[in-house]
Amino acid sequence: MKKLKILLIGQPNVGKSSLLNALVGPKVVVSNYPGTTVEVTRAEKRSNDTKIEFVDTPGIYSISDRSEEEKVTEKALFEEKVDGAVIIADATSLERSLYMALQILEAEIPAVIALNFVEDAEKKGIKIDHEKLRSLLNVPVIPINPLTKMGIDELLDSLKIEGRKSFIVRYDDDIEKAIDEISPEAKGKLPKRFIALRTLEDDEDFYRYLRDEGKIKKVKDGLTDHPKVAEDISITRYGTASLIAEKVTQITPIEKKKRLQERIDDVLLHRTWGPIITGLSFLAIFGILLYLGNFMQAALMGWTETLLSSLGMVQDSILAVVLIQGLTGLAAGVSIALPYVFLFYLLIGSLEDVGLLSRFIVNAERFLKSMGLPGKAFIPLALGLGCTAPAIRSTRVLSTKKEQFRAASLFAFVPCSSRIAIIMGVVGFYGGIKLALSVFATLSVAGLIWALGVKKFGHIESEPLLLELPPYRKPLIKNVLAKSWIRMKDFVYIVIPLLAIGGMVYGILDMMEITGVIVRPFSPITSWLGLPDETAIPLTFGFLQKDLVGGMLVSVLGSEISSTLTSLQIYTFGVASSIGIPCIIALGMLIREFGFKRAIGLTMASIAYGLLFAGLAWRIISIF
Amino acid sequence: MAAELDILEIVKEDILRILGEGKKEEISIESIKSEINASDLFISKAVEELERGLIIIHHDSFISLTKKGEENAKDVLKKHLVIEDYFREKNKKDAHKIAHVLEHYVSKEVIDNIKKLSTFKGEGVPLREFEIDKEGVITDITFPDYGVFERIISMGILPGEKVRITSKIPNGVVVEIKNKKIAIDKNLARKIRVIDEKT
Repeated sequence: MKKLKILLIGQPNVGKSSLLNALVGPKVVVSNYPGTTVEVTRAEKRSNDTKIEFVDTPGIYSISDRSEEEKVTEKALFEEKVDGAVIIADATSLERSLYMALQILEAEIPAVIALNFVEDAEKKGIKIDHEKLRSLLNVPVIPINPLTKMGIDELLDSLKIEGRKSFIVRYDDDIEKAIDEISPEAKGKLPKRFIALRTLEDDEDFYRYLRDEGKIKKVKDGLTDHPKVAEDISITRYGTASLIAEKVTQITPIEKKKRLQERIDDVLLHRTWGPIITGLSFLAIFGILLYLGNFMQAALMGWTETLLSSLGMVQDSILAVVLIQGLTGLAAGVSIALPYVFLFYLLIGSLEDVGLLSRFIVNAERFLKSMGLPGKAFIPLALGLGCTAPAIRSTRVLSTKKEQFRAASLFAFVPCSSRIAIIMGVVGFYGGIKLALSVFATLSVAGLIWALGVKKFGHIESEPLLLELPPYRKPLIKNVLAKSWIRMKDFVYIVIPLLAIGGMVYGILDMMEITGVIVRPFSPITSWLGLPDETAIPLTFGFLQKDLVGGMLVSVLGSEISSTLTSLQIYTFGVASSIGIPCIIALGMLIREFGFKRAIGLTMASIAYGLLFAGLAWRIISIF
Repeated sequence: MAAELDILEIVKEDILRILGEGKKEEISIESIKSEINASDLFISKAVEELERGLIIIHHDSFISLTKKGEENAKDVLKKHLVIEDYFREKNKKDAHKIAHVLEHYVSKEVIDNIKKLSTFKGEGVPLREFEIDKEGVITDITFPDYGVFERIISMGILPGEKVRITSKIPNGVVVEIKNKKIAIDKNLARKIRVIDEKT
């Protein structure tokens, strides 16, 4: 059987994931390259006697390795042996898609252009002569519609044709001469002309493909007419793209009335309404998660308990305790994964596909920028309200490690569902809703102070806002489901086992009755917090399993908590148990994403900060 | 190795431009070959095609323009000069060379807009101060650095393009350019200048 490896490349919002879905369905594998943070999705498809592996790369505007996304695509292009690329082009703005297409052709990668949004373009009065485009570029050009599967079979067939010589951009005489001078120095499998171009475009990663790196400087110095040769190259490439696009595009001007799309944006991007709606949506997501989450969690937990008791094991043997605690951890994992993680991604995925998410990001950027974070941090922060562990992983949407770590540090203050349960279930239950709300307020203040402090002491230049706002569309349920599943997979395979292990460890510690020993060394902390010594047990064990905190507090202090603790103490307990990297699973995720040192450092620092803050808070409050 | 068709078009335009610029009416094919960096084969083919109405060949080795050819040459030259003029503003040395390249590629509409640019060079207002919903043309972009530059270019934001602000947001502007909506940071928007399309 023949094997083909085909890359899917396109700009953001060009319909790449819908195309992949139409090609192979939701059976995909997510992977990422070492050293990078952006994911690559893979999927296989059998077509007659050929096995085609599709590699879906992140959406980018050009392949010049300026962002993490571009680096990943570049790696996929040049470090894997690919047989070809499908370039997904947007018929409503062809020239922009062609810019990257021309780069792919310069790399001499056999390409097929899949022309998406043909109907949308026609509605706007734009008609693309795809036959003419095919003859100009000498690559197959196939109009597609992933929703109706139009052109999908044709696209699959076109992948098997090999050996074409396609169009390549020509630069001015001086640049061409420079290319000719550098080309003989190129080594390795990549096309010599392409290496020459990339080195002229200041891509230092390509210097290693030159026999003599000094050559590039010499040639550049010789280009006295082009002091900025890299810019001249990209201007020419864009000019070429726009000329080709013009040759194949026919525009019939249509009466531009203010369409519904515009009206929605007038509201959503309004200077006051925009942020309000964004904030309300954020709260709505939060509410839906909390409500449905609690409901599903209760149902699942009840079901597991019945299962456990029906097993009827002797509670006293170590094995039984370990098993039971392990299963409880597993159940906790499932009951977080399903409602909080899957539901969250389902909501976010729908917002993304409808086109709302990018508007929310624009509105949130204003607020997040003041805390030193880019607008995209909206996504992980919202997810953090569900569960911290997958939220830490989702910081990968941010483009630099520094930004990711900074966003992750905020999870010490964004309460996850388990922490919300403590605040509502312990503080709210025993101290009243006002007290619970004041804990939430304290968390916000603590988080804001932290964020501003971090921003002040570690200034990082975040990318300026430059974001495309896709038109509003109907979401494709199948697509959203597939995406949510892909994003949740990690949680299922990494976090759930960790939760089960955490439960087992707790079971063993509990069995060995060392919980009492723990209290003494922590007494300075509990006295700083103005709490009884016994509260050290739920506070420390909360780190293994946040869901155990409420129950443990009752078991050490008795069920009459409202009489054993003052409301100020209940408040302090709530704050102290909610600030900080919440649990061992989140710590595990931090280690995985940022390395041992940084993870431990952040966890220690955030817990210390939380305890300090809680202690200060009750002292300040008690003055009044 | 551009597609053959395209090289031929470029060579043809180049020959017309050289003849149009030339002080002498007749120019030897040899001197054209030395000036254009393309294989002789393409040049002979281009000459052959141009002979159908645009140029006349004398004694097998000299060429000159016909009436119709002169007009075509003027067009090519005009395009060249417009672009050269625009880029001269930005960078004296670059101008001529960039014009050489762009004249073959840039569309008529962009050329028209570039003409406007050279008349209104340096004029216009920063993007964020431009009126909402009015059609404007980008006159100037002072690119911060190459990374941002290429990103901006590849998103279709460049001098000569038509642009319309759909809304102003506190952290920037939202514009429609080439049928796409893009949110641009206010610091970037400050570096983009726009004039009214009708001027």
